[in-house]
Amino acid sequence: MKRMTLLALLLAATAVVAQPDTQWVIEQSALTYHMSHPMHQVDGVSHSAKGKGVCHAGQCDFLVAVPVKSFDSGDSNRDLHMIEATRSAQFPMVIVRARFPQSDSSPATVYVDLEVQFAGQTASYAHVAFQRETHGKNVRITGTVPATCSDFKIDRPSFLAVPIKNEIPIRVDITWSPM
Amino acid sequence: MKLNATRHFFAGAVLILTSLIPALLTAQTPTASLSGRVTDPSGQVVSTAKVTVRNLETGQSAETRSNPDGVYTFSNLAPGTYTLSISADAFAAKTSQVTLTAAQQTLDLMLAPAPVPEALPNAPSAIPASPSLGDLGFSPQQSQPNAQLQALLDKRTEMLKIHQRLGLITTIPMAAALITGPMVAAKGKNGQPITEPTSANLDFHAALGGTTTALYFTSAYYAIRAPRVPGTEKHGAIRVHEALAFVHLPGMILTPALGMMAYKQENAGEKVHGVASAHGAVAFTTAAAYGASIIAVSWPIHWKFWEKQ
Repeated sequence: MKRMTLLALLLAATAVVAQPDTQWVIEQSALTYHMSHPMHQVDGVSHSAKGKGVCHAGQCDFLVAVPVKSFDSGDSNRDLHMIEATRSAQFPMVIVRARFPQSDSSPATVYVDLEVQFAGQTASYAHVAFQRETHGKNVRITGTVPATCSDFKIDRPSFLAVPIKNEIPIRVDITWSPM
Repeated sequence: MKLNATRHFFAGAVLILTSLIPALLTAQTPTASLSGRVTDPSGQVVSTAKVTVRNLETGQSAETRSNPDGVYTFSNLAPGTYTLSISADAFAAKTSQVTLTAAQQTLDLMLAPAPVPEALPNAPSAIPASPSLGDLGFSPQQSQPNAQLQALLDKRTEMLKIHQRLGLITTIPMAAALITGPMVAAKGKNGQPITEPTSANLDFHAALGGTTTALYFTSAYYAIRAPRVPGTEKHGAIRVHEALAFVHLPGMILTPALGMMAYKQENAGEKVHGVASAHGAVAFTTAAAYGASIIAVSWPIHWKFWEKQ
């Protein structure tokens, strides 16, 4: 029995070690924040994200960064207000780090722990669900990061003396390709 | 009775002494602070670097990040020997030891760039443990902080907030002037002598017009004087908002000028005539452009604001 257990553990360990090292880069991306106000519903989108992922020894580490000023809400005045409110001249990048175990299977939904650096603050989001689709060698990941203004100590901008909603969910749509 | 008073006295004394003990103890515990600036080899400041101190005797640790000027600060540390660890994207992590006494100490730190891993084919060790910001190829203009730009943006926002508030307040006397205008104009119909006590109405309308003009130009001052952000191309509804100013700004000069002429004519018992008779039409056009300008800058308007979002 002990031998069987040892054998099983050895096989499992070999399976993890045997997983190939892979590196990924962003092929294309669309990151969209959504801002709500009683009189406004605004989406700001950026296609300027750059990222890299490394899967090694059963562990995957991904890094995605995007300049805050690359988000376009369709109005330059609003975008400048956003840059000011998020102190983006001082902290120009949104940096997202993700870590998750490497998997041989290709689940349709992956759960990822995220660490997001934004506006000079760092917030963690555990177990965020992302949909995973394979397109040839590429992998498309879509999901929503449940960010809020208070997570990053952002003073909520107001219009007609009414502040925007605290929730600023960020929709993620990234296609990764292997290096 | 005497016993009770004695008990109360002792109880009070004990309470006071007990409350003083923590304060006395705190006062006797010396604290130290540590601060410094984080720079790269070229002397450029490194912001958001993660700085951690760990007391070697107690194991207690504290963490902070360098601010946009590259400065990190720890306060209320117990004197002792600490390990200080620092890490930042695109830089090699660094650890050093520092002994703190009960004073304010300064320790500037310089970070070396992270070594570039050699790309050996088929060598797993060539794969870095985790990617860093330096791997992504952003230009320094994109990724470096700019404190001057932040100050400019702060000033711009502050001025535009005042512009917005004054602009909205202006709508109140403007609307009132639009309502009272036709009432005043009705008094001199058909060239009949004005027998109604119109002077009060006329003066009230003129006062509303004057208030509107004063508020409008104060609001306009804050918009015009708000600093421009270099390298920004204007697009979207803000362009419509600004284009409409070419209608309502001349309108806000013309309207009171024509209004003064009309006021004089009305006061002289005449029917408003000549160019002054355009006062009402110009005022309505100006107000319409002004209203459209407010709607434009508020666009897109979520009309069903009562719905749950």
